[in-house]
Amino acid sequence: MIHLNSLKIFGVACLALLLSACGANSVVVQGSYPSPNVRPIPLTLGVYFDEELKGFNYIEYTETGKEEYVVASGQTHIQLFNSLLPSMFARVVVLDSLEAAAGAQVDAVLAPSIEEFQLALPQKTRLDAYEVWVKYNMRLLAPDGAYIADWVVTSYGKTPTESLRSVESGINDATVGALRDLASNFTLSFRSVPEVSEWLEAKGATD
Amino acid sequence: MTSARLAIAKSGSDPRKRLDLLILFGLLSLLLTACTTTTVDEFRQGETGIEAHQSIVILGRRQGSTYETREEFVTCVGERVARGTEAIRVIPEKEFIDSLFPWFEPRTAPLRTSDLQVLMEEPLVAQKINEYGIRYIVWVDGQTETTNRMGSISCAVGPGGGGCFGFGSWEDDSNFDARVWDVSSFASVGTISTDATGQSYLPAVVVPIPLIARVEANACSSLATQLQQFVNGG
Repeated sequence: MIHLNSLKIFGVACLALLLSACGANSVVVQGSYPSPNVRPIPLTLGVYFDEELKGFNYIEYTETGKEEYVVASGQTHIQLFNSLLPSMFARVVVLDSLEAAAGAQVDAVLAPSIEEFQLALPQKTRLDAYEVWVKYNMRLLAPDGAYIADWVVTSYGKTPTESLRSVESGINDATVGALRDLASNFTLSFRSVPEVSEWLEAKGATD
Repeated sequence: MTSARLAIAKSGSDPRKRLDLLILFGLLSLLLTACTTTTVDEFRQGETGIEAHQSIVILGRRQGSTYETREEFVTCVGERVARGTEAIRVIPEKEFIDSLFPWFEPRTAPLRTSDLQVLMEEPLVAQKINEYGIRYIVWVDGQTETTNRMGSISCAVGPGGGGCFGFGSWEDDSNFDARVWDVSSFASVGTISTDATGQSYLPAVVVPIPLIARVEANACSSLATQLQQFVNGG
């Protein structure tokens, strides 16, 4: 009887092992982002993170179409914007909805979204690096929802393959690199977006 | 391996025998290290010198599409420059880049000394660099490439034991440049280049015996020694 139970346990363990090998590997991106050293714009910015951004997952498929890696980067994006925006503006208000902007005494609302996310794995590209490309859409709206600006920001991050680095760690580091690139690009190019520049001038906040 | 462990265990009671064995192993590992050839070139464009309250920062160039300077190599050079009788205060790369975010990221870092001059017009950047007391910014650019891989090793495990048989070899080539920028004059004061090459071997008769050429470590050591002398005005 004991022998039969042991066999059952062994069978279940083998099955669990087989099933776990079939599932996609999950990578929850984790990173830390420094605050930028820039002169803050003397205005109040509302920021709205939609559910799609908060729960953003990218799925990398195998050549046969099976899910291989699920890269969850929604929360780290929120962390990035929370570290970035307070250094860029005098005051930042996180909004629960775009409609809440009207009563939040903000000068404008930023609504970032991810348009495209691409991952390049060394086993597929035959290169010695993990690479991540992300294309963002940045929308700047007036508190009443009127259009101010809408522009695209792209970012790129890569990390070299190393003998003791896991695929998960490589994906994580390349994604964090891409997010840092987004932060630097967004911070330094924000004032030079033509519509944003016009809006800042109208608000008397050009310098 | 088993007989060596046995020998150590047997000699465990006699400290003199144990010391002899340790020396033997030390000499053996020294002999087993493959040879590396290192060349260092220095090109000086201006006078250098550093005071005790001043510091330098060593940064890796990461703009290239085909390679990026490894963080570990930059750290290695920094640690060696900060050691010895002619030690120089070195600000760690990560700390500096984070502290001056986003001005020294791969896409935004200054590529020429004129870019640095423009960058220093940003009051927050100038303030941070002055707080650190940075006199020189050193840009390290390069990589280690492995070429000429030859041979093969096969390993097998059976009921009576296991083992490997074969021979493998490869060549490592480290090429690194360190460009030194003087923050006080916004000028490039010189370049130090190091080129290290070495052949590594891996013969396997039952047990693989690696004879590894420490190419990148030698490149780091040579570059750091020369850089230390250069910055100190030697």
